Amino acid sequence: MATPGFGGKILLVDLTSKEITRLDTDQYAMYGGGHGTSTALFWEYSVVPGKWNLDDAFHPLNMVFLMTGAVSGTGIPYAARTSVSGLSPQCYPIQWWCHSNFGGTFSAMLKLAGWDGVAVIGRADAPVYINIVDDKVTIEDANDLWGMTTWKCQEEIWKRTGVRYGMDWQLLDGGYTLQRPAIVTIGAAGENMTRVASLVHGGGSGAGQGGFGGVFGSKNLKAVAVVGSGSIKIADPKALVDAKEKYHRGGGGFGGFGGGGGDVSSCCAGCGMGSRMCHNRTRAFSKDSDDCAESTWYTITQEQSKGVQLPRDINRKGTDIIQQFGINGMETCFMGPMEFDTAHNTEFAIQPKIPAYSALGWYMMKMHEMKVIGPGTKFDTAPLPMDKFPSQEFMEMYGRAIANREGFGKLLGEGTARLVEALGRTEDFNTIARQTMWGFMDHWSMPNVEWAYGNLLDSRDINSHDISWRGDAEQAVKNYAAGTLGNEPLWFDYTWKGDQAYKTGIYSKYKAEWVAWHMHYWNYYKESVGFCDWGYCNIGNNGRTPTAEPTYLNAITGRNHSFNDGLEIGRRAWNVKRAIFVMQGRHKKMENFTGYHYMPGASYCGFYVNLPILNGDKWEIQNCRELYFTREGVDQFKTHFYNVEGWDPNSGYPKRKTLEDLGIKQVADFLQSKNKLGAA
Amino acid sequence: MAEKKKFSRRDFVVGSGTAIAGGTLTVLATTTPVAAAEDQGSYPLSNKYLVYDSKNCAGCYGCMIACSMAHDGEVSFSLSRIQMHRAVLNEYPSDIIMHVCKQCPEPLCVKYCPVGACHISAENGNIRMIDAEKCIGCQTCIKMCPQTPHRTIWNPNAKKSTKCDLCTNTPYFNKTGGVDGAQACVEACPKNVLKIVDTLPLETGGYEVDLAPPAPKGGFGGRGAKPKSKPKQEL
Repeated sequence: MATPGFGGKILLVDLTSKEITRLDTDQYAMYGGGHGTSTALFWEYSVVPGKWNLDDAFHPLNMVFLMTGAVSGTGIPYAARTSVSGLSPQCYPIQWWCHSNFGGTFSAMLKLAGWDGVAVIGRADAPVYINIVDDKVTIEDANDLWGMTTWKCQEEIWKRTGVRYGMDWQLLDGGYTLQRPAIVTIGAAGENMTRVASLVHGGGSGAGQGGFGGVFGSKNLKAVAVVGSGSIKIADPKALVDAKEKYHRGGGGFGGFGGGGGDVSSCCAGCGMGSRMCHNRTRAFSKDSDDCAESTWYTITQEQSKGVQLPRDINRKGTDIIQQFGINGMETCFMGPMEFDTAHNTEFAIQPKIPAYSALGWYMMKMHEMKVIGPGTKFDTAPLPMDKFPSQEFMEMYGRAIANREGFGKLLGEGTARLVEALGRTEDFNTIARQTMWGFMDHWSMPNVEWAYGNLLDSRDINSHDISWRGDAEQAVKNYAAGTLGNEPLWFDYTWKGDQAYKTGIYSKYKAEWVAWHMHYWNYYKESVGFCDWGYCNIGNNGRTPTAEPTYLNAITGRNHSFNDGLEIGRRAWNVKRAIFVMQGRHKKMENFTGYHYMPGASYCGFYVNLPILNGDKWEIQNCRELYFTREGVDQFKTHFYNVEGWDPNSGYPKRKTLEDLGIKQVADFLQSKNKLGAA
Repeated sequence: MAEKKKFSRRDFVVGSGTAIAGGTLTVLATTTPVAAAEDQGSYPLSNKYLVYDSKNCAGCYGCMIACSMAHDGEVSFSLSRIQMHRAVLNEYPSDIIMHVCKQCPEPLCVKYCPVGACHISAENGNIRMIDAEKCIGCQTCIKMCPQTPHRTIWNPNAKKSTKCDLCTNTPYFNKTGGVDGAQACVEACPKNVLKIVDTLPLETGGYEVDLAPPAPKGGFGGRGAKPKSKPKQEL
């Protein structure tokens, strides 16, 4: 019998051989579910066999995982994510093992069908989709779905059954249901294997970062559809309800992204109580739209728009375009809704303001303004009507060109980092092309250095909005020290100048311990258990962390795990991930920030800029917008970090003892066989 | 003994205001189920009804999850006595439809149950309930439910029918349920779009009400007027 909270089995589909296999979820329980279990499975099924070089996300032997966690579908706020993993075509210059996730109802429906996840390997010889109806799994012909937008594809799959969803009870293996299949699919951007293609579920739930839509496309996989009529067992239902009332009583959220005045907000499955209501039902021109990366995709800086005020409807139509074509809104956007002043630093390359997120659209227009690209240059921008910028006509062609790889869209579809390289302008990584790390553009990751270090040590922008500082500094630091169970206030000294930066500040062993905690937390509680970044971790002001996580999990699973037990599971998955990175070529010498991090202005995109500083024996909250790294400091940090993790400080490779202590001796043996094990 | 209000099926369909007002007075002192009264053509009204506002629903499935959790101790969309269906690509407001048991004035599930399992519980405010001990799994109540989709639910594991009892029998609920207690779906709803009322709603449209929850404060990017219509932008 499966552990409560889990379906008990993971679906493995080989699209080359058409073989369908069921794996026992509990065999991978030590990795925590979600991304952790995906990491272990990738190691087992793709790395260890050694049949390819782990270098091409579009290779048939790459795998793509859609995984749930213990909290998925249980009605807990902030717990509806489906984890997505695989080698990422967006990652640059190496296509690292990477991750993304999306909300909606997919994770709940997958578990109601009795599955904890879907793993796909191989490549179909013609377009297909995977259809899961409770226990029954089929690989269906998708020739007629290929070429459809994400919305049309879903509607067509729904039509095929002939069921009046919501009106006719349909009998499945496990019982009757009124519900329609939850579908995750790709649009033209994925079919054409761009590196900026998202997975889209429903109207606007999407996994954008990582470019996993292109991985679907490379496998000739148009969609995965699932409908379930079973149940998710809960070990202690009353305790679960009690926990919800304790941690999320009140409900309604702050009316966030999708829930603005006048709109009817909506949200992911189970996430109503206390959530942000990230979606909406009534927004013109978009369906079920998430209001973050999607709805801000076509917002233009004042500098680039030359003062042209775009009607709001154009922005909203833009949301439709990226949702239907399946384009990663974050990577291809023009800025996002915010700009920050830079004029006080006349040497800074972006004047007079810097957009909060300077991604593909913004960079492209900057190149056009500088006459690097455009009609008559080496890089013709056709079919983009550059003279029509920033009109709706331009926006629509921008989306189409990317999704269909038309003309200049061939380069745009490679993503910002590869566009920079193709233009021969990698020096821009020191200035205006603010690639935070590994092919992902800057995103508030500075001066919150745990975010930036996370980007460096992982394989993408870790998109970690969970740490913010407010109120009395002494109390805030005290709360964080207690809330992490680390009980070390010096973890939170963000001093970045002078000797103190090395002793207790951003280059110290204390910061290394804090970053390690953060990554272990992230690997387990967020990407493996399934808690959403908007709700977890939640440390300050007597927040939910560290009691909510184990309270929820133990009520669901019947286990008796402590908060630190979870961190240890996260550390285990993090080490397997590190082993995959090492097998892909990761080494200490590669883990260096792009140039702009080491220059004044590194934190100019920052949103959470007020951070605690230990001034003598007093804590103060100071504005750290001028914070930037030194190369020596980052080197020291890395040495501390590798030591904290039990990795070789000279290479960054995991040591045998570290892996064996985590119960993954087989990983140590394999690394040793490849001469990739850290020195003892 | 309190007045025992009776009600004909015709009254329900027509929606007599007088009858509705009278329904609020219904309280029975008897502790035994009220037998099917097809011979009389009338039944005591339920004391309480569940109404909803689908136009302001967040589509979170919280009501369904809470229902199956409270009654069955597990999450199941299929066992939930309240059903919310999200047609996520439909135009607002047809993107969400909700179905609740109407606690019918003339409950055909009660009327045609061959063993009296489906009954009107006098001790529980005349709620139409199914006694699991008596249910023989014949599904007559499901076939006879006049609503589409039917509001009586088939539990394939127990091989018995169930239906909304306003949380009277909720072994996994952490509150006292029933007509004088709390309902798991109402408690779980983050948008306050479910409500218990003691007035019989009109059969047509009466259960769908405007509960007009206060609009949340606009978050970033969240402001904007509600469109009068929602033009499609198909590619």
